[in-house]
Amino acid sequence: MRAVLGFLGAKLLRALVAVWLVTTVVFVVMRLSGDPVPLLLPPDAPTSEIMRVRRELGLDRALPIQYAVFAGNILRGDFGRSIHFREPAFAVVRGYLGATVELGLTSFFLAALVAVPIGVFSAIRRNSLVDHAAMAVALVGQAAPTFYLGILFILLLSLKADLFPTGGRGDVTHLVLPALTLGAFTMASIARLTRSAVLEVLHADYIRTARAKGVAEWVVITKHTLKNAALPIVTITGLQFGTLLGGAVVTETVFAWPGIGRLAIQSIYNRDYPVVQCAVFFSAVMFIVINFAIDAIYGFLDPRARLR
Amino acid sequence: MVQVTRRELLKGAAALGAAAALPDPLLRRADAQTTQKRELIWAQGGDVSKFDPHFSTSSNDIRVSFNIFDNLTSRHPDGKLYPGLATEWKLTAPTTWTFKLRQGVKYHNGDTFTSADAKFSIERTYDPAAKTMVATALTTIDQIEAPDAATLVIHTKKPDPLLPARLAFYGGQIVPSKYVQAFGNDVFNSKPVGTGPVRFVSWVKDDRLVLEANPDYWGGRIDVDRVSVRSIPETAPRIAALLKGEVDIITQLPADQGERVTGNASTRVAGALYAGLYVLAVNSKRPPLDNPLVKQALSMAIDREAIVKELWRGRGVVPNGPIAKGDNHFDPSLPPLAYNPGAARDLLKKAGYKNEEIWIETTVAYVSNDKQMSEAIQGMWKDVGVNVKLEVIEYSVRAQKNREKSFKGVFWSDPTSTLGDPDGMMWRLLGPGGPQDYWRDARWDELGSAARFSVDEKFRAEAYREMTKIFLEHLPWLPVIQPYEDYGIQKYVEWTPNPNQQFELRRFNFKLRRA
Repeated sequence: MRAVLGFLGAKLLRALVAVWLVTTVVFVVMRLSGDPVPLLLPPDAPTSEIMRVRRELGLDRALPIQYAVFAGNILRGDFGRSIHFREPAFAVVRGYLGATVELGLTSFFLAALVAVPIGVFSAIRRNSLVDHAAMAVALVGQAAPTFYLGILFILLLSLKADLFPTGGRGDVTHLVLPALTLGAFTMASIARLTRSAVLEVLHADYIRTARAKGVAEWVVITKHTLKNAALPIVTITGLQFGTLLGGAVVTETVFAWPGIGRLAIQSIYNRDYPVVQCAVFFSAVMFIVINFAIDAIYGFLDPRARLR
Repeated sequence: MVQVTRRELLKGAAALGAAAALPDPLLRRADAQTTQKRELIWAQGGDVSKFDPHFSTSSNDIRVSFNIFDNLTSRHPDGKLYPGLATEWKLTAPTTWTFKLRQGVKYHNGDTFTSADAKFSIERTYDPAAKTMVATALTTIDQIEAPDAATLVIHTKKPDPLLPARLAFYGGQIVPSKYVQAFGNDVFNSKPVGTGPVRFVSWVKDDRLVLEANPDYWGGRIDVDRVSVRSIPETAPRIAALLKGEVDIITQLPADQGERVTGNASTRVAGALYAGLYVLAVNSKRPPLDNPLVKQALSMAIDREAIVKELWRGRGVVPNGPIAKGDNHFDPSLPPLAYNPGAARDLLKKAGYKNEEIWIETTVAYVSNDKQMSEAIQGMWKDVGVNVKLEVIEYSVRAQKNREKSFKGVFWSDPTSTLGDPDGMMWRLLGPGGPQDYWRDARWDELGSAARFSVDEKFRAEAYREMTKIFLEHLPWLPVIQPYEDYGIQKYVEWTPNPNQQFELRRFNFKLRRA
């Protein structure tokens, strides 16, 4: 038990250091990248006006002091006020989290539920027409730029076939195209990886043994093969999930989806430091939580991982 | 290995082709030129950021705030000033304007509009404690009196012929004094209250803003019950939403996409000649751009006709000087800026140009087609022997360079004529201490200052004529095009865009065609 606690403690400490590093890097990079004030004021604003707004936002202070204030506030759960929206940064980010989680989860489950069976099937029926077709589609899914795929979906499935709305958030029909677009890459990666992981296991001695013992084929696949092939699949699936939550910028932009990726990008353009910091903080935390979950699943799948 | 026969391959290709050639269901709805809709939805390229009209001048925000709020005066799409919350106004002394205010107007929360609100709103714009973003819009004002509920007297520091025009644009929106004072700026910004034709209902950031018609609007209730604003950042999905009938109006329609909208039976393009110009502003302090002959050569080497025709599909006109067509004192007798590469080469020789680098610092989509125009102009300048360098900079870098006045050469600017008058355009930007103050000429400065404070339009006309002459010799801007600003709209929407980007849904300007 103590070993487990120590293991978890070390992991937690590492996670905290990672969050601290990420927020610090973002703090520094944002401040190096430029001044938000000229973007807030009309182009003919005089210098005195610019200086006044800078003072008001605390941007006239030395960087270390700004950092100390920033770090102190974060410890109290205060991410500062959005320069652009004039409201607490946390409230702004929270307003976008729901949409991001909704889209991220949908495309994740869509991807996983479609891709794992396809990958397994492709491996079992290796070199069949289905295998070739599935892997060709997967290759396209991995290679097609999200931007292009999204617009193609809009033109074909929304405008021509009139099946789905072109964008925006609303009922479940609004989710389909963005989830497909966002999930395409993940789906393709998971399918390809599942296929090769399953293929590898299928050649293992214990599978041959199982078959020799006369175990039914579906048991061989589900019990013996899948469990052993699961480790790399879980890894890539977990990492892809993080990407789905944090990296949906392009999809969110194409489909006018009010998610955190789009907010982060716009806030970078607006030099809205507090919102960028808060959004990145949450993305980092989500990534770390997912990593934790993957580690836990490892332990369940592979007893050797518990000893490490 | 599976063998795919050629026949199977061809079958597959044929199926794909057939799918792509499916007719648009929308194209069949050719007669969708009337509607029973009670909601208007417009889509713009970016979301609203603030509702408090004194805290933003961005076009995505003022499209909304000019409809939640009213100004004392109102500039209609025909370019003329009309009554708003003021019914009439008069110059009662050289530095005194007296406004008669509309009576019986209610704010969306039931408060009555009076002269106290007008005084509070205007003073709020430049009150240092209020910290607004329009602090420089109305600084010609010295003090304001509200002798009775229906009268507002504004004293200016010097004669200001353009005060009624200034009050029609940003900074001039009238806010409810009691509400703002009682609840503070933050509450007011999140739950805005005005006198305008629509009132605020709800807002989900980057998704949808919902407004509803103000049933008691003094200018008459508008023709719909609800107005929704969606932000669709990418052009292609924005156009798709229009073609599919999900939205009724889209903003920022690029010139090269107009055909998609006109090619669809139920939509059309509505454009207004921009009240302003797209120019390459020049850092005239940096050699060799301090030499007027070099700038004349650069100007003459630009084939503006080709730019209008090729990059803008004809949606623009070639400027003839620093004053936009449609503004006060625009001189139609001046010829469009000339293209003459031979003369440009001669001028460069005469100027003693020694192949120094000339930088174009271009943004991407800060103004439409900026990068494409930069590339075209780069080629044109190379053709006459200019050593031209092109650098792409990001929007916020441009804002910073603008503030520091640190551009290396020429850069894109889209001077808007905020007052329908050269004072609100070239003098505002190029005048001493202005944001594009890179060049000075004593006579030009003298005339600009005198014209600003003169109420004699004949004198002003003469002054701007002479200023144009000096401008064309020194070219602190290289005007390139006066473009049309296009919107895509459903044919059942009857609405006229305003050249100065004001987006007004009022009875005089907006209605839906009913069956």
